[in-house]
Amino acid sequence: MIEMRSLRRLLPTVLALATLSGTSVALCAEATVESPPVASAGPPPATRSLDEDIQSLKKDVVELNRDLFVLEEELLFPANTQVAVFLSMDVGTFFALDTVELRMDDKQVAKYLYTPREAEALLKGGVQRLYLGNLKLGGHELVALFNGKGPNGLDYSRGAQLKFEKAVGAKYLELKITDKQRKMQPEFEIKDWE
Amino acid sequence: MRRDALKILMLAAALLAPPSALPATARHPLLGQPAVDFALRSVAGTNVRLSEYRGDVVLLSFWGSRCGQCPPQLAALDRLQSTYGSAGLVTLGVNVDDDQAAAREFAQGRHLGFALLLDPAKSVARTYRVDALPLVVLVDRAGVVREVFRDFRSGAEDDYLVKVKALLDE
Repeated sequence: MIEMRSLRRLLPTVLALATLSGTSVALCAEATVESPPVASAGPPPATRSLDEDIQSLKKDVVELNRDLFVLEEELLFPANTQVAVFLSMDVGTFFALDTVELRMDDKQVAKYLYTPREAEALLKGGVQRLYLGNLKLGGHELVALFNGKGPNGLDYSRGAQLKFEKAVGAKYLELKITDKQRKMQPEFEIKDWE
Repeated sequence: MRRDALKILMLAAALLAPPSALPATARHPLLGQPAVDFALRSVAGTNVRLSEYRGDVVLLSFWGSRCGQCPPQLAALDRLQSTYGSAGLVTLGVNVDDDQAAAREFAQGRHLGFALLLDPAKSVARTYRVDALPLVVLVDRAGVVREVFRDFRSGAEDDYLVKVKALLDE
């Protein structure tokens, strides 16, 4: 794991080195190549080939970085124990989100303070992964506490609770904040993605 | 005899000194490190997250209402902000008082042109290893800690200005 992390840390350096070495090689190549015909457009074939090699190398590095990221996540949070909690918000006329606190089996696992920009992103349809962790198989309880401004611009706090069963395979839960037009109140629920 | 007593006194002083206290000339451990992200509530009521200012030069000033050097320092930072705000400077004052009311009262008396954030739990102050007030941390456009000023004396404003201008020009 440590080796993989250090590898990931090294990737930007490798990328930079590749770019630099590529540039210097390209410059040398340009210096040695005979002067191109006046009519031809674009770089000479040798330089173009080098550019393509560099681009290909960069692409490989980016792909490798992505694979390592996925691998790291799979190792840290194996599917058998993984639990992820997402947050989404719809409309937001009756509630302005300020903080969310998550308690898993009566233990605080996440607390998030929302800036106006983040709240706006959620209102535009963004979904935030609020928590990613591991849970053993069996029954668990998730409690989410929402704080913000309510319908009249006053402080507003509500909670939502869900008892769920963690089976083999990843568990995904979603905290949903919606407006209940009939009651003119916000509604908070936790949805279990089966 | 006197020498022995002096040695004992010096040893006791060394042992009693807080382990995190750094000599004024020591290189701050955060220099060159990515600035740790945080979100705090401001005196105005909005929440502020450091990472939202990536691309700007951020000046973090840790202050307390009981700190004697803090009011003139905040006034100096206000002048800096009003001049260089449009060039990409963002100043954030982080108050470390236990009593938020004192911080709010302090802020109300001065109409500063930058956000004053509240850190009563001192979680951000601990992260940034604040061991003296005021303390200024300069973060570059890439989010890396580039300068740490550990005191405010006469002429310090000029030092801030030189470093801020250099970072804005990068």
